[in-house]
Amino acid sequence: MRLRLWRASGREVSLQRLDGYALNFWSRRRLAFLGGGVTPCGGASSVLSSDPLRTALVVDSGAEINGLLDGVFASENWSIQRAPDNCAALLTVAANSFDLIITGAKNQCRENLEVVHKIRAIRPHARLIILADKFTPGDVLDAMREGAFSYFSGPFEHSALVEMVREAMASPCWDDGIEVLSGTPAWVSLAARCDLGTANRLVQFLRGVKDPTIPEADREAVIAAFREILLNAMEHGGQFDPSHYVEISFIRASRAIALRVKDPGQGFSLDELRHAAINSPTGDVFSHLSVRDEKGLRPGGFGLLLAKKQVDDLIYNEKGNDVLLIKYLNPGASHLA
Amino acid sequence: MGLQISIRESGDVNILDLQGRSTVDTGESVLLSKYLRELTAAGKRKLLLNLVNLSRIDSSGVSIIVEIYVSIKRRGGELKLLSPRGRVLDVLRVFRLLDVIPSFEDEIEALASFRPRGFFATS
Repeated sequence: MRLRLWRASGREVSLQRLDGYALNFWSRRRLAFLGGGVTPCGGASSVLSSDPLRTALVVDSGAEINGLLDGVFASENWSIQRAPDNCAALLTVAANSFDLIITGAKNQCRENLEVVHKIRAIRPHARLIILADKFTPGDVLDAMREGAFSYFSGPFEHSALVEMVREAMASPCWDDGIEVLSGTPAWVSLAARCDLGTANRLVQFLRGVKDPTIPEADREAVIAAFREILLNAMEHGGQFDPSHYVEISFIRASRAIALRVKDPGQGFSLDELRHAAINSPTGDVFSHLSVRDEKGLRPGGFGLLLAKKQVDDLIYNEKGNDVLLIKYLNPGASHLA
Repeated sequence: MGLQISIRESGDVNILDLQGRSTVDTGESVLLSKYLRELTAAGKRKLLLNLVNLSRIDSSGVSIIVEIYVSIKRRGGELKLLSPRGRVLDVLRVFRLLDVIPSFEDEIEALASFRPRGFFATS
């Protein structure tokens, strides 16, 4: 007998219905997702405005993607204006402001980036999601530089696209969340604001790098490890305070991928983390739970170990606020240690 | 779709069918936690997590499974897993969870494992 069906999307999780224990755990990350109440971005694009009707401009992407997006917007009572191509979109944007703009999935990223650049000149705070027909090197870096909210290339993972569109619809502010400090195809350095929405955007940008020379399993492992480390840095180092930023570097060497995450916190000693699974004796990954129990902490502490197991090296600096992840590219090797 | 949870009952076993992912991103893991807590608070002591359509799990999802496993075990109950796949299976193996939490590939077999072993009369 089917009893209940509940979809998890940002707005449907009721914090009030959680008990204090779960709320205490979740609230920091959830509030971080909401921007922590700090809204440094300006402009007319804030979705927290009192205007009940929000409008998206969607460039034609074919029936499948159009239908998918229609469903998302309809579920949130957004209106949609559709443009047949980028030229028409540009003319429309010049005449009207939109809360969210999504480029056409039929175009190459380069064409979309050009129109995004022009739109940003007219509407500097517009949320823009780039859909491109296929990945080409340099797309993701350029999309971040152009201030895109997110980037996807075909073939599209529908669930990820829907989630990111929902996030763009819900995000109170975003356009200063990620700053490209420097970037070449082999080395990208960023500053990222300490909030969950920015973390999700950053992870999606990383997912957007569909480098065919990187085995899929390695790519997934690196993304998963990066995500765990990034969230740790933002939560424990940056306290999910949107006025704080973490520094991130992605380095692509010929036989390895390296990611560095530096947080603004006071650091920690890995050896003293007795309440984390990473310090549990081999073969007894649950032994740290008793330490957590003594300290009144919920069962958890799995993030560092999960990250470590998915890369070849996880190295902290002496202070413990700067961590380097290295994944050697060895086709055929298992991605999990 | 982040995470969809539907709940079925088979006898005194509550089966949670998970579809999507259990990560911290937009509330999926906390949603799973909420459901599991509600079930245990309602006195349910036999839970089967059907993971066959769960595509991804992160440390927050693992934490919740472990938390509920510990909690329900303390109350004399049982939590079991059904059909973890792909990346989810990889992550569970990292933590050797499958050495601790019983996991099954077949639902009927999983449900049968919850039943107390009976004593059969011999003729």
